[in-house]
Amino acid sequence: MSFDLIETILFALLTIGIVGGAVGVVFLNRITGAALLMAFTFLCNAGMFVLLGAETIAAFQVLIYVGAITVLILYGVMFTPQQERPYGLFFQKQTPWAALFVAPIGIFVALFAFSFRDSENPSTKGGDLVPLATSVFRDFAFPFEVASVLLLAAMIGAIVLVKRDDE
Amino acid sequence: MNIPVGAFIAVSSVLFFIGVAGVLMRRNAVVILMCVELMLNAANLALVAFSRRGGSADERGSVFVVFIFVIAAAEVAVGLAIVLSSYRNRPTVDVDELHAMKG
Repeated sequence: MSFDLIETILFALLTIGIVGGAVGVVFLNRITGAALLMAFTFLCNAGMFVLLGAETIAAFQVLIYVGAITVLILYGVMFTPQQERPYGLFFQKQTPWAALFVAPIGIFVALFAFSFRDSENPSTKGGDLVPLATSVFRDFAFPFEVASVLLLAAMIGAIVLVKRDDE
Repeated sequence: MNIPVGAFIAVSSVLFFIGVAGVLMRRNAVVILMCVELMLNAANLALVAFSRRGGSADERGSVFVVFIFVIAAAEVAVGLAIVLSSYRNRPTVDVDELHAMKG
C-alpha cells in the first residue's frame, strides 16, 4: 500500500468528518451535541493541517480550538437555557427559488476552487515550525505584540461585561 | 503530495458555506457563535493550504492563521460575555427576541 493511497484515504475520511460534523452543528437540536460535533470538526481540521505538512498549526488548533474554545462554548451552553425552537424560516419557503440561485454559485465556487494549481516549488520539506517562528518573530513582531494587547483587552472586556454590580 | 491544493480549497469553501447557513438558520446565540467559529476554521484551512503549496519560502499564511487563532479566542470570549450579560437582562438567548435596538 503506497503512501499516496493512504494520503487519499485520509483526505477522504477527514473531508467526511469535517462536512458531517459541520452539518451536525447546523442541524442538531441538542446544543451540547452540536458543541461536541464542533470539537470533532476542529479535530478533523487539525488532521487536514497535518496532511498539508503544517504540524505546528495543527498543534495550535488542537490546543486552542479543541481545548479552549470548545470549553468556553460548553460553559456558554451550561449557563443559558436551551429551549427547543424550530429553525429560522429558511428552508421551508422558496426552496426551489433558492436552489435556482445557489446552484450556479456552487458550480462557480467549485470551478474556482479547482482552478488553483500547486506551485512548481512548494515549501521546503520538513515541519513548519522554523519558518513560522522566523516569520512571527522577525517580520511580524509588532503585530504579535498588538495581538497580545488584544487578548488582554478582550479578557478585561469579558470580565467587565459579566461582572455583577451588586458586589 | 498527490492531493491538489484545489481539493483543500473546495473543502474549505464547503465548510464556510455550511457556517454561513448555520448563522442564517439557527436562532440560538451560542450556536451562531459556533457557526462563526466554523467559518473562521474554513478560512484557516484555505490560508494553510495556500501557505504550504503556494511556493513562498516563508510561511506568511501560517502567520495569519496564528493571528486568527488569537482573534477567534478573543471573539468567542467577548461574544459569550455579551450573550451571558444580555441573558441576565432578558432571559432568552433567542436572537429573534433580542430586538431592543431595532429601529
